[in-house]
Amino acid sequence: MNADTRFPHLDLEDLIAGAAGQPVGGRVRAHLAGCEHCQREANRWNLVADGVRGLADAAPGAAPPARPRRTGRRVPAGTWRRAMVAAGGAAAALVLLAGIGEATGYVHVHLNGPGTQTALTAVTGCTELQQADGTLEQVNGGSLVVKTATGQPVTVTTTAATFVSMSGPLLSDITDGAPVTVRGSSSGGTIAAVIVTVGQPFSAVNPPGFVPVQGTVADASTGGFTLVTSGGTRVPVTTSGSTLVIVPHASPGQLRAGASIFAVGHAGPGGTLTAQAVAAVSQLPSGRLTTVSVRDCSARSVTEALGAIAAAPVTGR
Amino acid sequence: MGDPRGDASAAIFAASRGGAGGGASLLVRRIGEGDEDAMAEFYREHGRVVLAQVLLVTGERVLAEEIVQDTMLAVWRGAGSFRGESSVRSWVIAIARRQARDRLRGRRLRVVDDAFLADQPGTGPGPEAMALDRAELAEVMSAIRDLAPAHREVLGLAFGSGLSLPEVAGVLEIPVGTVKSRLTAARTALNRILDQKGQNR
Repeated sequence: MNADTRFPHLDLEDLIAGAAGQPVGGRVRAHLAGCEHCQREANRWNLVADGVRGLADAAPGAAPPARPRRTGRRVPAGTWRRAMVAAGGAAAALVLLAGIGEATGYVHVHLNGPGTQTALTAVTGCTELQQADGTLEQVNGGSLVVKTATGQPVTVTTTAATFVSMSGPLLSDITDGAPVTVRGSSSGGTIAAVIVTVGQPFSAVNPPGFVPVQGTVADASTGGFTLVTSGGTRVPVTTSGSTLVIVPHASPGQLRAGASIFAVGHAGPGGTLTAQAVAAVSQLPSGRLTTVSVRDCSARSVTEALGAIAAAPVTGR
Repeated sequence: MGDPRGDASAAIFAASRGGAGGGASLLVRRIGEGDEDAMAEFYREHGRVVLAQVLLVTGERVLAEEIVQDTMLAVWRGAGSFRGESSVRSWVIAIARRQARDRLRGRRLRVVDDAFLADQPGTGPGPEAMALDRAELAEVMSAIRDLAPAHREVLGLAFGSGLSLPEVAGVLEIPVGTVKSRLTAARTALNRILDQKGQNR
């Protein structure tokens, strides 16, 4: 059957609209029913459209539609929701974004400064993991009391296996005899420290752009210290209020009240969080968003993600 | 006897595959007022489509997710400035496109050239010798991945995002006629890829 010759063939706009699933008029339908040429064209565009949609459907995590995570071992009613929503609007948006990762197995950490405008979105795809973030109010042994932006206190408990890192202008943590890694600019034999990592280095905390120099601390003072290398060389190091001190393997007792806490772990009794990893940042960068992504839900991945937060004040500069 | 095809157009043009959704502007207004539940609803409504589009263009999963996250942050922060001059869906996709462009700026310096070439008519086989006519869906999906980013982008916007052609034009900041040219060029390129793959089998 030939097309109704009173009308020309369908134009591209009609074909595209049809393939896109948008409404087409009676004229288009009538013509299409009798025009083999336009049927072929429509079928071609339909196949292209199906290919596009097929890719979208095939994309991991694209189906079913992403949703904020509301299932699993979430503590009901309020506490955890508020804890996860964390502070401020940006935090809320980020928490909602967890849905994408939930289906894909990616862990995302968004860190947004300054001050209490902090947010952590993690988990996603990690159905057993929960998160909490806020400001550290106090430390009771291995337990941290974290106050979320909404004022809701959350208890984060740590164990011997919990990875705890901290960072900030923590110059008092640079003490004589401590093993350190110094990153900074060298001039006249003196290093002006940008980052000082105290204790055992952590691979995820390795901001680019600096040549690390390792040694132990001697003659520590408020203005700097002497770095004694393994070969016995003594290198003067100056520090300032802008020097970032990172302690990749800290103990809960070292954490300072007022630090921004990011914790990921498993829901415990009474609305607590048994942390797999905790990052405490005493001075968040302002006006910038840092993203850390890792691929799976393993303790190692989560640890690396939180460990990387420690360097965020520098890596995003 | 009636036409055995019956309402052939109904079969050829499948049912509506969804769009931007009504009441969307109200949703954005609620987001602008700080309503977290509205943001959740917005994400459910648009997150998947935006991710699919960004992923289609970038081809990189982690990058696409980060772009979507940044996009949703921009929505949260910018909802108060939404004037309703475009559909919400095209608004959020335009935001995602800008986010992707910013991210990719350092990598792809010849975006303008790519876009120019993307609009040029192809020299592939004529409509009667379409490799598309013989292709399976899986082959088409594979071939789409091999297209230039500008072609993937326009196909995604036209067929995966629920946007009308004028809305696609708005997102791409080009005239509707250029959108049509780019779509045609994309299909020609797709056909050529399918043809080459078919010859290599």
